Amino acid sequence: MDKFNQIADFGKELASLETSENALLLIGEEAKRLVGADRCSLFIVDKEDAMLWTKLSDGMGRIVIGSDSGIVGDTYLKQKPQIVNKPYEDERFLPHIDKKSGYTTKNILTVPIFNSKHEVMGIIQLLNKSRSDFHSNDLETIAFLANYVSGSLELVLMLEQ
Amino acid sequence: MKYAKTYHTLAKFGRELLEKKSLEEGLPLISKYAKDVIGAHRCSIFIYDLVAGEFWSTLADGVERITISADKGLVGFTLQEKKPIITNDPYSHPHFLATIDKETGFKTKSVVTAPIFSSKREILGVLQLLNKEGGFDNEDVKFMIFFAHYISGFLELTNVYLSKNREVKSTK
Repeated sequence: MDKFNQIADFGKELASLETSENALLLIGEEAKRLVGADRCSLFIVDKEDAMLWTKLSDGMGRIVIGSDSGIVGDTYLKQKPQIVNKPYEDERFLPHIDKKSGYTTKNILTVPIFNSKHEVMGIIQLLNKSRSDFHSNDLETIAFLANYVSGSLELVLMLEQ
Repeated sequence: MKYAKTYHTLAKFGRELLEKKSLEEGLPLISKYAKDVIGAHRCSIFIYDLVAGEFWSTLADGVERITISADKGLVGFTLQEKKPIITNDPYSHPHFLATIDKETGFKTKSVVTAPIFSSKREILGVLQLLNKEGGFDNEDVKFMIFFAHYISGFLELTNVYLSKNREVKSTK
């Protein structure tokens, strides 16, 4: 099936969910399926405390990092998607998270999620695409998905405050 | 905040919208909702066609199309500024096109617009509301910005990616 028809079906399913936890889980699953990645995390920006924390963490437990640390932090600062296919050779990469979890990160795709004021409110991070590196068309697909879900995400975050 | 209650019911509208499979089915729903919630007499959604250099909009049935030039009027000015426009005295606004009122017989008393952005942060379209009793205020503009962003994913998916004209557009 064409991936955009797939996203339309996903949108219908997403809209039918009542809780933000279930919605975030579904977004993560859809993101992984669209690009064939092994894991997906969703980081939410806490502007006041300059932190990024995971609202959805795929088998990792909750992660909290400074808003300027790691590749996710750099995505936040630059407000631009990042593809890192050799993380251990990238000085921004935080290897101690792998060490702690026992997971080996092979490649990373991150995409900022913008709110209606054009501020970054979150970051989608995908890890370990199977069989190949992340490519610019993966980036385009996830950037579209990020915008597609951003209205619902902004609403959920606003109502939870 | 007068829209506090609206935000709590917005997800219900979102569910209804995402059930729609095409732009043509979604546009009337969006218009009606924006008009009712903000309390305006009219709502139009102008979709930007970069190739043709114009906006198109549909009439109430969501099917019949009208086009307007992309560099004229308050909608064109919204595209240029990439920002919402609000005026409660349109006839004194330098970008207002009084000729349209003359042609249609409609008397525009107040206008608010908001740009709708795509995932590439380009303008997909402009949301426009006309004639609110007592005029529009900043709370209305704030809600419009939020709402324009809320519906942008649906508009981008149905207009750009699921459009029947997609093949034609991409092969030029």
